[in-house]
Amino acid sequence: MKDKMVIDQVNQDNSSSVETDLKSPSVSRRGLLKGAAKAGVAAGAISGFPMIWAQNIKNITLRQFGTGVSNLNAIADKCKEDLGFNLQLTSLDSDSVTQRAVTQPNSYDIADIEYWICKKVFPSGVMQPLDTSKLKNFSKISPLFINGKLAPDSTIAQGTAPHTVGFVESKDSKRFATEQTNWMTLIPTIYNADTLGIRPDLVGRPITTWADIMDPAFKGKTSILNIPSIGIMDAAMICEAMGEIKYADKGNMTREEIDKTIEILIAAKQQGQFRAFWKSFDESVNLMASGEVVIQSMWSPAVAAVRGRGIQCAYQPLKEGYRAWGGGLGLASHLSGLELEAAYEYIDWYLSGWVGAYLNRQGYYSAAPSTSKDYMTPDEWGFWIEGKPAQGAILGPDGNLMEKAGAVRDGGSYWDRMGAVSCWNSVMDENKYMVRKWNEFIVS
Amino acid sequence: MDKRPMSFYFLGAFFIVFLLFLYGPNITIAILSFQGENGGLTFPMRGSSLHWYAQLFERQAVGDFTSALLRSLALGVMVMICTVVFSLLAGLAFRKRFVGSSTVFYLTLASLILPSILVSLGIGLMFDRFGLTPNWFSSGFGSHLTWTLPFGLLIMFAVFNRFNPSYEMASADLGATTLQTFRLILLPLLAPSLMGIGLFGFTLSYDEFARTLMTSGALNTLPLELFAMTTNVTSPVLYALGTVTTLVSLCVILLTLVLLKQLNRKPKHQGN
Amino acid sequence: MMLSRQIHSYWQALPLTLILLGFLVFPICVILVVSFWDYNEYSLIPDFILENYEFLLTSKVTLKAYLQTFKYAFLSWLFTFLIGFTLAYFLAFHVRSQKTQTVLFLLCTVPFFTSNIIRMISWIPLLGRNGLVNSSLQSSGLIDQPLDWLLYSDFAIVLAYIHLYTMFMVVPIFNSMMRIDRNLVEAALDAGAAPWQILKDIIVPLSKSGIMVGSIFVFTLVMGDFITVKIMGGGIKANVATLIYNEISLLQYPAAAAGAIVLLITVLMMLMILFRLVDVRKEL
Repeated sequence: MKDKMVIDQVNQDNSSSVETDLKSPSVSRRGLLKGAAKAGVAAGAISGFPMIWAQNIKNITLRQFGTGVSNLNAIADKCKEDLGFNLQLTSLDSDSVTQRAVTQPNSYDIADIEYWICKKVFPSGVMQPLDTSKLKNFSKISPLFINGKLAPDSTIAQGTAPHTVGFVESKDSKRFATEQTNWMTLIPTIYNADTLGIRPDLVGRPITTWADIMDPAFKGKTSILNIPSIGIMDAAMICEAMGEIKYADKGNMTREEIDKTIEILIAAKQQGQFRAFWKSFDESVNLMASGEVVIQSMWSPAVAAVRGRGIQCAYQPLKEGYRAWGGGLGLASHLSGLELEAAYEYIDWYLSGWVGAYLNRQGYYSAAPSTSKDYMTPDEWGFWIEGKPAQGAILGPDGNLMEKAGAVRDGGSYWDRMGAVSCWNSVMDENKYMVRKWNEFIVS
Repeated sequence: MDKRPMSFYFLGAFFIVFLLFLYGPNITIAILSFQGENGGLTFPMRGSSLHWYAQLFERQAVGDFTSALLRSLALGVMVMICTVVFSLLAGLAFRKRFVGSSTVFYLTLASLILPSILVSLGIGLMFDRFGLTPNWFSSGFGSHLTWTLPFGLLIMFAVFNRFNPSYEMASADLGATTLQTFRLILLPLLAPSLMGIGLFGFTLSYDEFARTLMTSGALNTLPLELFAMTTNVTSPVLYALGTVTTLVSLCVILLTLVLLKQLNRKPKHQGN
Repeated sequence: MMLSRQIHSYWQALPLTLILLGFLVFPICVILVVSFWDYNEYSLIPDFILENYEFLLTSKVTLKAYLQTFKYAFLSWLFTFLIGFTLAYFLAFHVRSQKTQTVLFLLCTVPFFTSNIIRMISWIPLLGRNGLVNSSLQSSGLIDQPLDWLLYSDFAIVLAYIHLYTMFMVVPIFNSMMRIDRNLVEAALDAGAAPWQILKDIIVPLSKSGIMVGSIFVFTLVMGDFITVKIMGGGIKANVATLIYNEISLLQYPAAAAGAIVLLITVLMMLMILFRLVDVRKEL
């Protein structure tokens, strides 16, 4: 009976992949891979957890929450198609994500959060670490998340670098381990290097440094983001670029450094340097597209969204480097049994390439770059990852035209961009103090 | 009709300007909802199309406003029914002075007056501290009632202050039981006001943001979902949604008006 | 019958009372307790400390935020009152049939059926640099440069408040105007009073209660709002509730609770003054 189920499912999948095979060459590889994945599953059924492939897998619903950045319905659809169970997504704004994670641990099974949020949330005991030996694709994860180094000779950036909060000492530990262990707090999924977005048609001069946002020429036409843990890092990049402050560690400022940073921000605000502060992705798109601001802190897909409207917008690489962020999937501590196994299966699948390719096409990076390559055309891979000029039209995940042939990604290749990270979004020791000062800046 | 004074025209013009101001955002929404396929939430228009109306029935990249809408409608109806019933009961209670009546009255006022964020925080903290799981139909429902009930009660006060009790007395004199009087006399007389309370309760709940913020639990109501959707690229589909909801509610109001007219045709009652 | 009615009163008022106790009184007690607790990044630590209040009451941010909030409350009150009174006067004294009055009122409520979040977003294309207002002013030649202060400014915030809350002023004022005996006005006219005298000596005093009720609505709604300030102020502006909201979103519940208690006391004190001037219950 059980075997028949598996066979039925495989048949179904084969037929669907035959249909899609006709559409593009890249998908045929996907079809093949899927077959391979199924074979792996069959093997797993014998050795590991047979329960999971019984009929009741279809009744499982995993509840995931996170921001709209990666809580995409397309992923839930694909998950249902490939794995057979339901993924119920709840999108929240980034503030509510932290709140939900801590205050309502029973309302979710899987948390899709950023590493700096993890630093706040994990010690509260609402989540359980993941056993990395259960993940087939663990070895594919970029070393950036394991030891903090993109290449063996890279220096580790400042701030809450993902590997510093990526592991705990044991299954029941709430303390972050200083080096790699078998227990991971979040399985990394998505990350990027952020910089300033500009309107090349309106700034009227080359932009080369974070300090340019404070140029009086742009008075009333700039914006930074109002999420303290991220905004303070942008502010630090700016102040350091202006030569006003030299931080010992931007990711862990002292009270004096915080005071001075906020002081500079307040002075700029009172002189009318900022047009607005944005908190949600969409606000940044609207500010830029409507011409309210010409230079602001921005996220990569927001730049793409502005460009998608036929408006010039560049994600300007700057000489001081990037501010990076990363997110991942974590398990709620109440998960157990069949649901826990399903969650492992889902997270492993997340790393297996399809989602990675989907995220890459939005301008983010996949945590397991090598697997996502198989799901992208050479041209897509060349454009998004290798920084090569596009050979043909580059389409977004929804099929809309994103870039025409000949375009080159701002900032160049993956290694150019992620290799030039100056600091990560962070939670500091003086976080409480920083947030209070940030509030002061917003009110002043 | 006698001749209108000059001031009528001035004030009339003022009223029209005010209406224009009230409809300003709606007009913008309506225009932008016909934005071309590549257009965004702001001007300039990039062509014009019905694309976003078609998108309304498609799945969005992020979020799911259909189920959020259904949830908000369900919550709105629950809140509406409870608001009508509880306000009516409380309104009847307050026709007599009873011990503690002024305490309850001032509590009701306080409920209306306290900043929503405070109520939201309080209920959220309370559920959190007592290990209860907040849900839109439990904590969310309660927090909405703290907002709609005061309005309901105030309207009931306004109604009963102008209510002529002689109908009830006559009914009682003629030997009707309390229940009969209530069902046959009071209820029909109060029907229009009760519908008003219902409508009020529904719209207040449907659009409530701050009070739902910390009380909705795992699933979002429509305002929260819309807010969350802005964490990714939102499209003029929001405007299409806005335009459609405005039109639908216009229809509901017209329907209510017709119904009211039908009801008014029955017994005449005193009042303005 | 009278006695039985009084007994009825208790069970009739019970549902309302229970809801208020469970979802208002009790939560506020929880806030009060939590406001004395300590906290760290992710959890609340039961304690009895005054640090939350100490910081709140000594910080110049608090003072600034309160001044801002009072400014918004005062300006919104002033404009909603002036506009609301005029509209109510028009509706009550110039529109003669009750049917027209109802229709006009309904016309005023329709815009509120579109979700507020959507309406707020739409102010940007209306008031922004390239928005409808600026582009029509520019094309008519009235201005050369787009007006910046239309959006993300105090002006924008107060404008949005006027938009949202004027009806809360119109309804109660209209309500009390409708109760003014028309013969009084007729008599004054016959006695040779000028229109402004009638307004000053009859209509304003007699609609005082409506004005009070409306003022209470507008005042308290503005004091507790944060979403308008957030969207219309472009994140640049802040008031007290924004501070509380920020703290909530950063999981600093005890700090937020302390802020909420101080706000609560402020609002109650203001209302006590207003309630001295009017008996709300009688005036409805």
